[in-house]
Amino acid sequence: MMTSQEKDISTAIPDLRDIPADQLATLSSSVLANSIALYRERLKDNGIPLSSFQARI
Amino acid sequence: MITTHMLPVTAFTALAECADDPDAIRSIGDAQLSKHLMLLHAIAEAAVGDDDGPAAFRAAYELFARIRATDPGAADWLLGLPHLGGWAHDCLIHFERGSAADFGHFACVVAAAAVRAGFPFELNVPVQDARVRLPGLGYLTVNGSPSWIKLSCDGTRVTGGDHFEADWRRIVPDDGSGGAVPFWSGTPMVRAVAEGLTWNTLLETDDPYLDRYSLPMSRNISVNEIQRWRDRFQEGWEVLVRHHRWAAGPIADGISVVVPLTPYSDTDLVSATTPAAFGAIATSWPPDLVTLAETLVHEFQHVKLCGLMDMVTLVESDGERIYAPWRQDPRPAAGLLQGAYAHLGIVRFWAAQRYVETEPDEVLRAQVHFARWGPALNLAVQTLLKTECLTPAGVRFAKLLQARGREFASESVTAEARATAEEVALDHWLTWQIRHVATDLATVARLVAAYRNGEPCPRSLQPATPIAEDVRKVSSAMRSRVLSMRYLAPARYRELCADGVLPLGHADRLLLAGNTDAAVQAYRDLIAGSAQPEPDAWIGLGLALHRRPASQHRAAFATRMALMYDMHARLGQQIDPLDLAGWFA
Repeated sequence: MMTSQEKDISTAIPDLRDIPADQLATLSSSVLANSIALYRERLKDNGIPLSSFQARI
Repeated sequence: MITTHMLPVTAFTALAECADDPDAIRSIGDAQLSKHLMLLHAIAEAAVGDDDGPAAFRAAYELFARIRATDPGAADWLLGLPHLGGWAHDCLIHFERGSAADFGHFACVVAAAAVRAGFPFELNVPVQDARVRLPGLGYLTVNGSPSWIKLSCDGTRVTGGDHFEADWRRIVPDDGSGGAVPFWSGTPMVRAVAEGLTWNTLLETDDPYLDRYSLPMSRNISVNEIQRWRDRFQEGWEVLVRHHRWAAGPIADGISVVVPLTPYSDTDLVSATTPAAFGAIATSWPPDLVTLAETLVHEFQHVKLCGLMDMVTLVESDGERIYAPWRQDPRPAAGLLQGAYAHLGIVRFWAAQRYVETEPDEVLRAQVHFARWGPALNLAVQTLLKTECLTPAGVRFAKLLQARGREFASESVTAEARATAEEVALDHWLTWQIRHVATDLATVARLVAAYRNGEPCPRSLQPATPIAEDVRKVSSAMRSRVLSMRYLAPARYRELCADGVLPLGHADRLLLAGNTDAAVQAYRDLIAGSAQPEPDAWIGLGLALHRRPASQHRAAFATRMALMYDMHARLGQQIDPLDLAGWFA
């Protein structure tokens, strides 16, 4: 069980909130490239899973 | 230097436990804005060449960068559009397939953000179906059949092609208050208000990138139909705000688009969420206000988990498809986790709703829902944990949600509700076993030989029972419907019983009438006397046995149903199924 003293969880999404859009191309960050590669890999493996629910009355 | 979004442990825990934590929802929403920026960057790298589409994308991207630099709120609105996510995913899929992506559509998205903010611009935008779509706002009807038109705004007026001009403040979604602008069709907007809490959401009936669910989007719906949806949302919203405030606030913040779906029949309720379009949910017409409220809770759980799973890997591999107590088909681990999480919200909803209802039929419905989904949630998490498909974070998440579910499950329910819930759950499980649990032919042959020779059932029997979709055909859907009708539509059920027109066979009628011993005998006769396999009768017999005190027969039906069924088919139809069940005991 985790406690609130534990470290925050590092995620797979690069934090681009303060990065100007026109500078993304020039930054050539490995974090960004890795995240995109990971995301595309996931998409290739899973497609776009749909969580659908059907109830009949 | 670029770092990654960090998720506070408290937010992770709050999400897993379905706790009231606005910061947790905000963390997911912030990450989604970055995710969309990331996807835009990936698309920008591919938008090369002189064709109209990539050229329009580059011009739009440049405008987007300027908007973001000067009006971050307008840029965040764009980045938060589910429409953007839907389109971006389509682009990535086209890249994987090597087919042509619709780069030009991004010009429409950026134009929408610019128009909404009154930001001066000039862009070439694509025309599709004689429309220029401005996602999140509506569409502009275009004369003739051009492929592109110029759309611009001087900070006061929006001009489109050579036929459209209007004040940018009037290019808005349609909230039903009138004031039509020629050539402009605002996306229908729903504004639901209750006890000071307002939820604004779009009823999206046009955007092709949000028409991505298992059922088609309801397009071209009439003004009367739109008003009907608005009224239903207002009613459902009042239920949520008054009795499920924990869900209402986050839903108001997190669901900006509802896609109405066209179901296969009027009695189907289908709802869905896709991780491609964070902030959007889809549903067919909800038959009543409480069902709508539950659907919103249900789908918002999926929205949250989709957002979390973008950030943190919870499922490593899908492994073998497994049983989900709420689905007809075997599910991968990620799908089961989604379902379990959705049902945590559902259990929390019915835990409160059962005390809100006052009409006996509605109380029964709420109690049975509550009694059914709590144990189902627990079973699903147990199944998930056994798969070893979850990452350490996934295991932690599953255990937290299971613990929260158990807190609810420990609450009392009426005996009638519990019995009905257990029977409906058993029907689902038995039907699923017959449909999807395969057996090994050699094992069946060996067991048949042992049975014929009068040998005891091997004690060490651990037959392989791989799961495969639809290995046997079952046609007991009508009995299942009637079993559920007892609590989903009890008035209709009573009516059918009184008229003597329950659409069921003799054995099923005996079962429903509570004539258990006669039902057991009738199912046995059906199975032993028929020249054809009788899967529906096997399920019925399992249900009837469950109404008797616990027995070894009952246990064999709950765990060895598929194996007994296949053995019986090999042995010949005269064998009494209870003899076979007794042999396994």
